[in-house]
Amino acid sequence: MPKNIRNFSIIAHIDHGKSTLADRLLEFTGALSEREMSAQVLDSMELERERGITIKAHAVRLWYKDDSEHEYILNLIDTPGHVDFTYEVSRSLASCEGALLVVDASQGVEAQTLANTYLAIENNLEIIPVINKIDLPGADTEQTKKQIEDGIGINCSGAVFTSAKEGIGVQDVIDAVVNVIPPPSGSDDLPLKALIFDSWFDNYQGVIVLARLFDGIVKAGMKIRMMATHRVFEVSQVGVFTPKMLPVDQLSSGDVGYIIAGIKNVGDTKIGDTITDAVKPATEPCPGYKDIKPMVYCGLYPLSADQYESLRESLNKLRLNDSSFLFEPETSLALGFGFRCGFLGLLHMEIIKERLEREFSLSLLSTAPTVVYRVKGLDGTIDNIENPSLLPERYASIEEPFIIVTLFVPADFIGPVLEMCQEKRGIQKSFAYIGKDRIKLQYELPLNEMLWDFYDRLKSLTRGYASMDYEFIGFRTSDLVKLNILLNGESVDSLSLIVHRDKAYYRGKQLTEKLKDIIPRQLFDVAIQAAIGSKIIARETVKALKKDVTAKCYGGDITRKRKLLERQREGKKRMKQVGKVELPQEAFLAVLKLK
Amino acid sequence: MYCDFLSVTYSESLATVYVDALCKELVLKSDGADRLETVYIGGGTPSMLSEECFIKLFQFMKRHFSFSSRPEITVEINPGTLDRSKSDMLRALGINRISIGAQSFDDGELASLGRSHRSSDTLTAINLLRASGFENISIDLIYGIPMQTLRGWKKTIAKTTELSLSHVSAYELTPAMNTKLYDHIKANLIALPDEQNILDMYHYTIERLTASRFQHYEISNFAMPDFRCAHNLNYWDRGQYAGIGAGAHSFLSGTRFKNTDNIRSYITCITSGTIPQSESAELNKSEHIKEHIFLGLRKREGLNIRGINLSDYPVVEACSEFFDSGFMEMDMDSIRLTGKGLPVANTIIVRIIEKLDLG
Repeated sequence: MPKNIRNFSIIAHIDHGKSTLADRLLEFTGALSEREMSAQVLDSMELERERGITIKAHAVRLWYKDDSEHEYILNLIDTPGHVDFTYEVSRSLASCEGALLVVDASQGVEAQTLANTYLAIENNLEIIPVINKIDLPGADTEQTKKQIEDGIGINCSGAVFTSAKEGIGVQDVIDAVVNVIPPPSGSDDLPLKALIFDSWFDNYQGVIVLARLFDGIVKAGMKIRMMATHRVFEVSQVGVFTPKMLPVDQLSSGDVGYIIAGIKNVGDTKIGDTITDAVKPATEPCPGYKDIKPMVYCGLYPLSADQYESLRESLNKLRLNDSSFLFEPETSLALGFGFRCGFLGLLHMEIIKERLEREFSLSLLSTAPTVVYRVKGLDGTIDNIENPSLLPERYASIEEPFIIVTLFVPADFIGPVLEMCQEKRGIQKSFAYIGKDRIKLQYELPLNEMLWDFYDRLKSLTRGYASMDYEFIGFRTSDLVKLNILLNGESVDSLSLIVHRDKAYYRGKQLTEKLKDIIPRQLFDVAIQAAIGSKIIARETVKALKKDVTAKCYGGDITRKRKLLERQREGKKRMKQVGKVELPQEAFLAVLKLK
Repeated sequence: MYCDFLSVTYSESLATVYVDALCKELVLKSDGADRLETVYIGGGTPSMLSEECFIKLFQFMKRHFSFSSRPEITVEINPGTLDRSKSDMLRALGINRISIGAQSFDDGELASLGRSHRSSDTLTAINLLRASGFENISIDLIYGIPMQTLRGWKKTIAKTTELSLSHVSAYELTPAMNTKLYDHIKANLIALPDEQNILDMYHYTIERLTASRFQHYEISNFAMPDFRCAHNLNYWDRGQYAGIGAGAHSFLSGTRFKNTDNIRSYITCITSGTIPQSESAELNKSEHIKEHIFLGLRKREGLNIRGINLSDYPVVEACSEFFDSGFMEMDMDSIRLTGKGLPVANTIIVRIIEKLDLG
């Protein structure tokens, strides 16, 4: 029976047309009528649509009957489209036998496409190159083919040419999916073995798990076990997305679908874990499971203390849907009560922050993001430090996370990009031409350096034409020091940071200068100092405000004057009082603006 | 050039109809009240009005209202718009206080302010007024004029102290938006003196005028003993007042009103018996309190904290940081800004509002 199933993903760079192609496939197979199509139905969250990225993976079952009346089940597994979600992407890909590699004929191959294609190759997927946007005036199909062949090493003789927007080539895509991608192997008679590639919390049904069955069957009433977390649940419903939820009697080997089993906590359904039959378990789980840990941390504080409880509730709610994000209470001398939150990466962090402010109407102050440091104490114990202010005064050594970054850069811009990578403590690992005018670069560098406006600078140095991807490669020892910022002699914990010793003076000077511009004048001089230990390395002063009094205030001026004072009062609500000094929010992000 | 008072080109026929409308509005707004404590005719250049218009207005007031035992009746005049006959006429109508828009005794500064008069015109006007019997004469001065130096300002102050005036208002120049000066400053064509210079001018004014027996009783106002401007004190004490005329503001029964700025629609409305309000806002409790604070603290004697309105609020506590740092001081009944606090009154007031959580 599994002979008629095809499980596949679409790999594409942002804006290369993945969502549009997915919509066309849904339309073509009649999963949705044209009337039901809201543009790009798979990206359901408002935020995703705005940012043009997919955060949560989804799986849709399509039915297709070919000319000779053979019926096929095509499972399209959508993958998250950002570097922070590499692991989720790899698990989605592991659930497929094939992938469509969509490349914009006018833009060519980008870094993320490459990284995801390699993930697909590692998972033994059959890859079908799809050259999209052939209707655009700038389309160069030959050059694009060459880039795919030279740059990625994929044969383009079977490439499909499409314009998803215009609906050109959709039949060819379907034919390729049916003919090129192998059907799933596996057996219904073996014990259940299903790979979790997504899960989320639904208010009515609890946790919904998306899984790919490699062996066995699953149906309501069965007891299932999560092989990594060892939790056991009873299945209440199984089904597929069409893209509407459609319950079915059972899912069997080769199928992709959802499982509902009275699970309350997404933490019990870890991406990459294997579901098996609790009574008759599989001997081995699916390969490749990793317990993914956040790499980037920041402190989130409510601007007014009375929002602390609602911040906690909102964080709890978000966590229901996103087990890769962590938080725990933290107290800052400067900012009061808040939470230290851990994210997979910078984009993940920004998404969570935006959702908190937008969906939960919170006014938040976030500290500059920091990576996790592994600190070896004098007694040999190892501590993970997620907050620079908690770095002890003395320690044996300190390690920081390193990544390998892959960059695709137009040759015209290569000079400044190399310079930046150098400046960011990067070690070049490879340098190669892809096609005639683009270069693929690989650098090993500290993740910390990525947090310091790496991506923004890359974009501006290359006018947006570069793309990048990165992967965590491990912790390495570095010569790091803690830089403290003092305001009128008092150290402000939320402004402290850990920097490489060679850059400490420069950063200290830059940071005090930045803060001088950001901190408004107050009724007294504000001294801004940067210090390593007890040694002051930079100093700036914000001179006291001299005058702001209104000269005239007579009968006709009173209402205007009152409104002016009220506006000023309103403006101060975005400020945090640190000791006697009032700090605007930007002060806590000033560190990000440093070069 | 720097002021955003309502102004239209003068025409005698419009003035006559306008004065009729003022008289009508006086009756409409009096709401049974029949006693006037103070009258202030100002904003723009009322001394441009013809003698006939003045006579009509004052005769109407005298017919419909009585005055308190020591009324304060002020007219603003601009130097160069006054002759002996008008001066005598004003005196004869019972006007007992004149405020002159002198601005400066330096002709160069007057020119850069765009004023058409010279400092000698101011001296002439003062002499004319004295000859007509006026004893209570106030002048307005402006400092912080583009290119002005502390030395220039000292000369203006020195001249001021020689004139035996009863009252001086000294304002920092604050160019209003949509004026030529404002645009020129924005475009970097003209620069105001720097902050420290202006602050020095302010402190010098206080020092020099108080040394000449003037009492510094409000941020920008100085008076000889017993010559404080009762009309303006009423604003800072949040007393009621009725503003008559186009664009005039009133504060009656806890509500602030403003008349329309449009002279013609003002006249049309008043003639048909309605007051053309363009803004009206009944103040809520926290707005009352905020006004008390920022108006009361303009006065050197400060804000009376024993007053019924403030007793519910921990005002003293809210100000404690400023007592400690010398920006404010207090005694049994009042809190006030010190010489150090006056120039930064806004920041202090916003902080107090914040501490009292008045929104």
